[in-house]
Amino acid sequence: MSKSIKVILRLFCTVTALSFMTNLAVAGELKYKRTIESYTAPDVVLVNQDGRKVRFRELIQSKKPVILDFIFGTCTTICPILSVSFANLQRKLGTDSQKIQLISISIDPENDTPKVMKDYLKRYRSKPGWDFLTGTRADIDKVMYAFNAYIPNKMSHYPLTLIRSDEPGKWIRVFGLMGSSEFIDECKKVGIK
Amino acid sequence: MKLSNRNIIYNRMLAILGCFVVLLVMAGLTDSYGASSPKTSVSPQEEHQLGERMYREGILPSGEPMQAFVKGDLPVPGTAFTCVSCHLRSGLGSYEGGVVTTPTNGAILFKPLDLQYKGVKQDPKYYPVPTRRPAYTDKTLANVIQSGVDPTGRTLNDVMPRYLIEDQDMALLVSYLKNLSSHFSPGVSDTTIHFATVITDDVSPEERNAMLVPLENYIKQKNTMAAYYKRNKFSARMAASMLYSGEMTFKKLSLSKWVLKGPAETWRSQLEEYNRKDPVFALLGGITNGDWQPIHEFCETNRIPCIFPITDYPVVSETDWYTLYFSKGYYQEGEAAARYLNRGEESQNEVPIVQIVRDSKEGKNLSAGFQETWRELGHQNPITVRLKTGETLSEETLQQILAKEKPAVLVLWDGADSLPALELLANNKEKPQTILVSSSYLGKSVWKLGKELRDITYITYPYRLPQDEERYNGFVGQLASNMKLQGKADMIAKESFAITQLLTLVMMDIRGNYYRDNLLDVIGMMRDQDLPLYERLSFGPGQRYASKGCYIVQLSKGDKPELVKKSEWVIH
Repeated sequence: MSKSIKVILRLFCTVTALSFMTNLAVAGELKYKRTIESYTAPDVVLVNQDGRKVRFRELIQSKKPVILDFIFGTCTTICPILSVSFANLQRKLGTDSQKIQLISISIDPENDTPKVMKDYLKRYRSKPGWDFLTGTRADIDKVMYAFNAYIPNKMSHYPLTLIRSDEPGKWIRVFGLMGSSEFIDECKKVGIK
Repeated sequence: MKLSNRNIIYNRMLAILGCFVVLLVMAGLTDSYGASSPKTSVSPQEEHQLGERMYREGILPSGEPMQAFVKGDLPVPGTAFTCVSCHLRSGLGSYEGGVVTTPTNGAILFKPLDLQYKGVKQDPKYYPVPTRRPAYTDKTLANVIQSGVDPTGRTLNDVMPRYLIEDQDMALLVSYLKNLSSHFSPGVSDTTIHFATVITDDVSPEERNAMLVPLENYIKQKNTMAAYYKRNKFSARMAASMLYSGEMTFKKLSLSKWVLKGPAETWRSQLEEYNRKDPVFALLGGITNGDWQPIHEFCETNRIPCIFPITDYPVVSETDWYTLYFSKGYYQEGEAAARYLNRGEESQNEVPIVQIVRDSKEGKNLSAGFQETWRELGHQNPITVRLKTGETLSEETLQQILAKEKPAVLVLWDGADSLPALELLANNKEKPQTILVSSSYLGKSVWKLGKELRDITYITYPYRLPQDEERYNGFVGQLASNMKLQGKADMIAKESFAITQLLTLVMMDIRGNYYRDNLLDVIGMMRDQDLPLYERLSFGPGQRYASKGCYIVQLSKGDKPELVKKSEWVIH
């Protein structure tokens, strides 16, 4: 191999390696992305952590402010952070926690039975006003499609928080993970004070 | 309903002040971190347990939850979000939702971190990139856990919690991490990963071969390829580039047969002896007609993973770690029956339910799954009538049960022996509105259910329906040496085939980190699999039953009935 080819090869390898490392670093520094979107909730019946049937559209159209995310009971990294945000919001609201409707939709409906969901909420010391919903795979898919959150497999999920806006049918879509103050700032924008 | 930034700032200041006070106090006790060591009043084993509890459960030695912040200002109760949540049990880390969680095991933390690709350290001659970070010391590791700043001065992603941990407790955690996945598990050599499969002597030769032959053929194929790559360097380089784990190019696999003889009470000592003489990385498959419990317990005690044993009687546990089953077996059919009834009118009106249970392993497991789930769903226990071994369910006995209890639902957990009595219900005015039976327990005789009862008889069926399974029928063929298998043996071969497919994926994803806990961690992060027999196999951290579903079906009308779905795969 000539010297020049060796140099080119070496340069190529270095660039590839640095690009790989940079990608990892970039993945680690993602900030959240905020957009305003229009969504229509599907009319499906889901099951909550108490085993009660819940008509999803009615819950979503509640007069209370509504915040929605997609999680699963045995998730490792991002669901705990999303759920800590919900728990923290409820804690700050204190006795007013029920004045906001928090909804977590299971993206692992096969494993997330009411018992699994109840145990999960207990770990986060949830208060009334936070429902964790499961259902048939078909119904869960409908919900994910309706909110442009469809993933074919739970392991390829991403952090997403949807906050219902004052304007009918409009939602604040937050892609990424927020800090406590960022989350509360977003809540304030829809009148949660 | 008020949210103010004042609260947040106040809480944050309190936390910072708390940290500061703790640091001041500790500074008075010790010159610097690293001089501190775990309390001497506890044994090394107790220290390990305390460190493990911090890592896995987020509980400090004091019994209080660890306190931390993520995303800068989001307080995290240690019990909700522990080290193990992201770094997993083995400490090898994870990748989820765009977040890379780096390894925190002893073998990696305390060595300089060089660039690796597909589990292989890259030759600095071709990849002249600097070391990503130097080896951690006790002090720099404590610092990164507390502040999120690594030894190079780089700040970690803010989804990594910043922990408020005192030095004495930190020393326990650091000591635990030092020993976490610090040496490869037994059964691993430079050239070979060694497995075993457990076979009990009550299994027929046909079923034993249906389990064993696909596994042995798979390993033979893998080893033939590894030997070929040893001879052909060019192909080896291509393989190493194309495989997810280049490290697996030359690795061979081996499989021992651990045959257990005699009564189940003696299995444990036989297993211990096998393990002493012939330690393995993990158990693959395995088969018995009896309960898997003794083997399950052996694996829990010795921390040996057991991947997909073929058994109808697994241990049903929410917390045990080391055995991954295809399903809960008969128990799962009972569960499905209860969930199906729960969503119908029977649930709303609390109608009388009678379950007739044969005093057999099948009957007991079906009944346990049904009864426990029914209770969990908020209902009263069903009325249970037990049939002794050898006792026939006569028409007269059945009539008496119906007359006395007037059940709206009759659940019959028995094999073919009770079918004649059931058939006589067809013209009985007091017959129940719903009858539930198990296809696994009835076996082939399920097809003999009389036409008159088909409308009210519902059957648990824990597999993909036969008409939908046809497209998977050729999958196993060559791997099972084209054996002509039918019925249960065919199902066993399909399960064994699934083990080989899973093993291929898992051994790649391990990427050279041969720790037993990592094997299970990697399986827990796998995508759902579409393989023969089960409608879907799904995984997740800590999930130990890959098939979560069971159809409720009915027989269609006509002389050659088909199974007709009456429920979805997983019933809510």
